[in-house]
Amino acid sequence: MSLLMRLAGRQLKTQLRTTEWRALLLATWIAITLTTLLTLLGDRLERGLLRESANLLGADLVLSSSRPLSDERLDEIEASGLTQTRVVQFPSMISNPTGGDTPPMLVSVRAATAPYPLRGEIITEPAQTTDLPEPGQVWVEQRVLSQLGLQPGETLELGYSEFTISAELISSPDRGTGFRSFSPHIIINRSDLEATGVLAPGSRASFRLLMAGDKESVAAMDAQLRPSLADHERLLALRTDQPLTGNALGNALAYLKLSALTALLLSALTILLSLRRFSQKQHTRSALLLNLGLNPGQLVRIYLYQLLLAWVALALLGTATAVLLDSAIQGWLANLLPQRLPDPAPYLWFSGAALGLVMLILIGLPPVLSLARIPVAHLLRGDSPPQDKRARTLQMICLALLAVTLLVFLQAPLAALILLVLLLVGGTLFGFIAQWLLVRAAEPLANRLLLGKLLRLRLRQQRKWHRLQSAVIVLLLTLLAVVWVSRSDLLAEWRAKFPTDTPNFFVINIQPWQKPDLDRFLEQNTIDSQLYPMIRGRLNELNGKPIRPQLNEEQLQDNSLHRELNLSWTHDKPAHNELLAGQWWEETPDRPQISVEQDMMGDLGLKIGDSLGFDIGGQQVSAEITSVRGVEWTSFRPNFYVIFSPGALESYPSTWITSFRLEGERKALATQMLSEFPSLTLIDIDQLLAQLATWLKRLGDSSAMILGLTLFCGLILMAVTLLQALEQRRFEAALMQTLGASGRQTRRLDLLEFLLLGLVCGALAGFSAELVLAGLHLALIDVEPRLHPTLWVALPALASCFFVVTGVLIRRPLRLDQCYRLLRAGA
Amino acid sequence: MDQSTRENLMIETRSISKVFQTEAGAVTLFSGLDLQVRPGESLAIVGRSGAGKSTLLSLLAGLDTATEGQVLIEGQEMELLGDEERARLRATKISFIFQSFHLLPELTALDNVRLPLEIRGAESPDKEAAHWLSQVGLEPRLHHYPAQLSGGEQQRVAIARAFATQPRLLFADEPTGNLDEETGARIIDQLFALNQQQDTTLILITHDPELAARCDRRLRLHNGALTEITS
Repeated sequence: MSLLMRLAGRQLKTQLRTTEWRALLLATWIAITLTTLLTLLGDRLERGLLRESANLLGADLVLSSSRPLSDERLDEIEASGLTQTRVVQFPSMISNPTGGDTPPMLVSVRAATAPYPLRGEIITEPAQTTDLPEPGQVWVEQRVLSQLGLQPGETLELGYSEFTISAELISSPDRGTGFRSFSPHIIINRSDLEATGVLAPGSRASFRLLMAGDKESVAAMDAQLRPSLADHERLLALRTDQPLTGNALGNALAYLKLSALTALLLSALTILLSLRRFSQKQHTRSALLLNLGLNPGQLVRIYLYQLLLAWVALALLGTATAVLLDSAIQGWLANLLPQRLPDPAPYLWFSGAALGLVMLILIGLPPVLSLARIPVAHLLRGDSPPQDKRARTLQMICLALLAVTLLVFLQAPLAALILLVLLLVGGTLFGFIAQWLLVRAAEPLANRLLLGKLLRLRLRQQRKWHRLQSAVIVLLLTLLAVVWVSRSDLLAEWRAKFPTDTPNFFVINIQPWQKPDLDRFLEQNTIDSQLYPMIRGRLNELNGKPIRPQLNEEQLQDNSLHRELNLSWTHDKPAHNELLAGQWWEETPDRPQISVEQDMMGDLGLKIGDSLGFDIGGQQVSAEITSVRGVEWTSFRPNFYVIFSPGALESYPSTWITSFRLEGERKALATQMLSEFPSLTLIDIDQLLAQLATWLKRLGDSSAMILGLTLFCGLILMAVTLLQALEQRRFEAALMQTLGASGRQTRRLDLLEFLLLGLVCGALAGFSAELVLAGLHLALIDVEPRLHPTLWVALPALASCFFVVTGVLIRRPLRLDQCYRLLRAGA
Repeated sequence: MDQSTRENLMIETRSISKVFQTEAGAVTLFSGLDLQVRPGESLAIVGRSGAGKSTLLSLLAGLDTATEGQVLIEGQEMELLGDEERARLRATKISFIFQSFHLLPELTALDNVRLPLEIRGAESPDKEAAHWLSQVGLEPRLHHYPAQLSGGEQQRVAIARAFATQPRLLFADEPTGNLDEETGARIIDQLFALNQQQDTTLILITHDPELAARCDRRLRLHNGALTEITS
């Protein structure tokens, strides 16, 4: 081993005892751990996303419709020569026939015809030789098995049929979009569908035609179909539609990037401050080594070796920690994600270590190079050498390079840049506000306490550090408070806004011939509910003329014109709707009348007396608006934009819908209902919300863990900033005691400063957390924001405790006889 | 020296010694030192490095305690005073001027001079601080930070800070050590002028024989003993 390497090793060993090196090591360790962890997780998610979007369609082109595809369409596509196949997907209840009390569960059923899928492949366990389950068999996902307590080889009930589970579904393309893509899936053979009785005219389902072929034919079909799409049809192509971007996984990815960037910035700042302090302490040593005959190049090598040695140890430690945490998060999320996340690319295991090295070198190089330029005369004069311009320029270049590295590393340079700027601007703003508040808060004290006046001077003297410290602490506490509160509160508050009699079960797909028996069942069991018929129709006329030419640009954007509306009819006004204008029909009127929801009235500029025309399954029905209703859309009761008077729609095929509330033991009635009417679709709202709560909690836990590490990073940074100012503080304390202050006064002054700093930071964090939470409340759950008084107490208390404890731990008491010696030593 | 003279002394030491405990055993810096300083007198203490001049100064200022013997300031025995009382005494009667000025870099010249005034709870610290800065000719530099001032100007701020509390006793530890000859001379003129004007007792530690010669009395600390230097 060379002399230089030996010297570097010894130097590192001695410096491990100094606080700045300990902080540097801790910060680098966390940076490497978090980077590796977030890269691994991010890559898993991203690969998951990519796989989902590449395989998502299971075809090159998909025509999706909420109604069975018309024969003309099918003929049109048949003629093109593309390979094609048909799938029906719908929600339905399944149950374990031997499961006793195990409640039925809601799943997404896909009934497909071979060949299926046309692109990508279905993976099952055990692997199957056929494209699809044989008739009478079913493939189900793990969540179905665990929730219903079933094993492959056993049977489950779907509607009037029983199916044998022949394989576990590991992954499959063509999951559909939206919420249904996240519910548990089962696949059956299309030939079994009729016998189940679950799909009848008017049932909610997605009818898809999958197409594949050479690029030109697909493009030609795309061009041919797109202009002629009906309102209930959608055309999905691989390149143009990426239904998963902007969804939950996409958001998770963005959150990971935010966390990574915050943690990396904090680490970089800690390393920067630690190395600055370290290099300041090395002036004399460097001048001595140069004086002893080392050349500047050798000196630079010693310090670089020292950084490299530290990096090797930290790279191993950090990567190992990340691997452990990664497997913990995989465990937490395993049951929640629709499919197991793919393994990350092998080279990514070393990403954190690599970034750690780049950080250490880019941040470490400028101070190390400036150490090599220390004049030997420093040994004689003992003063600190002036920072030359070249060193400053080099440092700026290195920091800019580091910023570029971070942005490139996060793979979304623009988003990361915006975030970086937001964090910096937000941090600076918080820093300045906190410092301003601090000065204002000290004013009343200055007039009452002797210490108050000194505090004012202290605040002026420490203002730069206060700005940095408060910026970091306020940002971190805000993040912490938001994650903490939203992880359980948002959902709880959303649920709390519903009255206690809010229904918790929805029943859909009730066929007309089932209605009398179901009515009887509900009555016998004293279940309070009302059944409504449901028919789909498209609004196409206003006052006997096509509606579109009569509307302005803004009105044309209205959603009610772009999809089929759920229409209903009833004799009596639904009790949960409010009559706002007009009159409800008394008897069956001579001519059809309708009651319209108030927002739709306003958005389309309708008035009472107007007549609206609807296309219902190709037939035209018109009716006059005679009343306006107010509808609470989140009431968990059947709600409709348009309700017809009796007599107008009865001749059209319809299904019925209802909702009701069952509590405690009476929840078993739902199971009983399903065994009597197997083809009904029962949606258990409590179960859905419980699923959502588990999701939020697990995601909250995972993000709290990542945030915890980020927070720890922030704490180390705090300790380093306090250390930076420590010598200055000790020197100041010595001077003040020499000038006549007592030891107790200087101690109290420190405590007062830390306490005030903590209170101000905590209050500011509380305020900004309330703002963010209020935004979340309004945007996500539409609930009037409420204040969280706990935050107002907890955050200032937490911040003050933190500052006082860190301050007291770092501040060593200064005896009077040390003061003069300290001042002399500084001479 | 009779009793009444003793009571009128600014500083009196009675056979003080200072012993440091080291790993190699006890090291005696000095022992049996007797010293009397009258009010308004200026006294220079000279001696080679390591002779214990600064330790002696911190004992005389009540910043440290003697291993044996007593230190009295205006007849008050330092040993008998608690921390708070000694702090009070420093705040009201004692000031220091250091070789490396020791201004707080984050405070302006005005704030630096205000600091001891705030500590002693002065009525109008701003006005007083500005007055003393104008006394040393720094009126145009009130709001400058130390880094924006030359060495000589920084030492003048330190002098203003020392006189701002109108001390009875002023300790100056190598006040020109970090200044060039010409600036040092100007600073010393200012120091002595103010000293005379305020009738302050000055205790000066220096290597500079010329500076020492300007004091009323000169003492050499050598081998743990104080000897008077006669011209």
